[in-house]
Amino acid sequence: MSTAMNFGNKAFKPRAPDKGAFPLDHFGECKNFKDKYMNCLRENSYENSMCREQSKQYLECRMDRQLMTKEPLQKLGFKDLLDEDSRNTTETES
Amino acid sequence: MKSHRNPHTESQQEEWRKRNKTVLTYIAAAGVGMIGLSYAAVPLYRLYCQARLGGTAVAGHDAEKVESMTPVKDRILKITFNADVHAGLQWNFRPQQSEVYVSPGETALAFYKAKNPTDKPVIGISTYNVVPFEAGQYFNKIQCFCFEEQRLNPNEEVDMPVFFYIDPEFDEDPRMARVDTITLSYTFFEAKEGQKLPLPGYS
Repeated sequence: MSTAMNFGNKAFKPRAPDKGAFPLDHFGECKNFKDKYMNCLRENSYENSMCREQSKQYLECRMDRQLMTKEPLQKLGFKDLLDEDSRNTTETES
Repeated sequence: MKSHRNPHTESQQEEWRKRNKTVLTYIAAAGVGMIGLSYAAVPLYRLYCQARLGGTAVAGHDAEKVESMTPVKDRILKITFNADVHAGLQWNFRPQQSEVYVSPGETALAFYKAKNPTDKPVIGISTYNVVPFEAGQYFNKIQCFCFEEQRLNPNEEVDMPVFFYIDPEFDEDPRMARVDTITLSYTFFEAKEGQKLPLPGYS
């Protein structure tokens, strides 16, 4: 797949990831969350929008176990899920 | 008494003085020239960089953008996944899903899996490619497993996540109007001690 050779100046330039590399989960600490996410994908024809709660949980797992820098979830694009959560809690509280 | 000034000496001294003046003038001019050059070097270098590398370095994608972007719900893109290993690396490396459907502006998670079936620890390092070429500029990885050495112990198997999004501006690019599939390919190489792959400004 190395079309890079044919393009001269216009070769594909890979970019480093914004937040760096994930440390490897050597002990499979978040494997369960990964499995939940993969199952969700399989059940929903691989539509990412249906499984965002599971991907959020996977990333939270990583953050809890020092496998990812802790960050507010809004910064990772989960603002809509958090808004939903807070709306649900205010509903149950009232 | 008349001074012992030799008329020849006097004209000779004058000549020397003239020559010294000329030499000094040249030296001063060269000095000014060098100072000028060092000032000009900065914009000249920038121009050179633009010509050679096709644009100034893009200052990464903002965390602000990720926080404020909204998914373009009426546009669905299929992201397919490829995995390769370079001949010298004995890992089993494969994607855990063949495709994922996302909207531009929506962060998404995907997994690869890598196993070291040998009885020695092996260190790998990966790079990636995006097809079609023009879509690559809209493909943003928030976090992944690339460009850093990853060590797998004997018989170890790990999940390798990629957390990414397609820039919502993708939807506004007329060249991308007919693009509905983007393929992400990762290739792993064996990292030998002290070997450095030509990777993009990432330590």
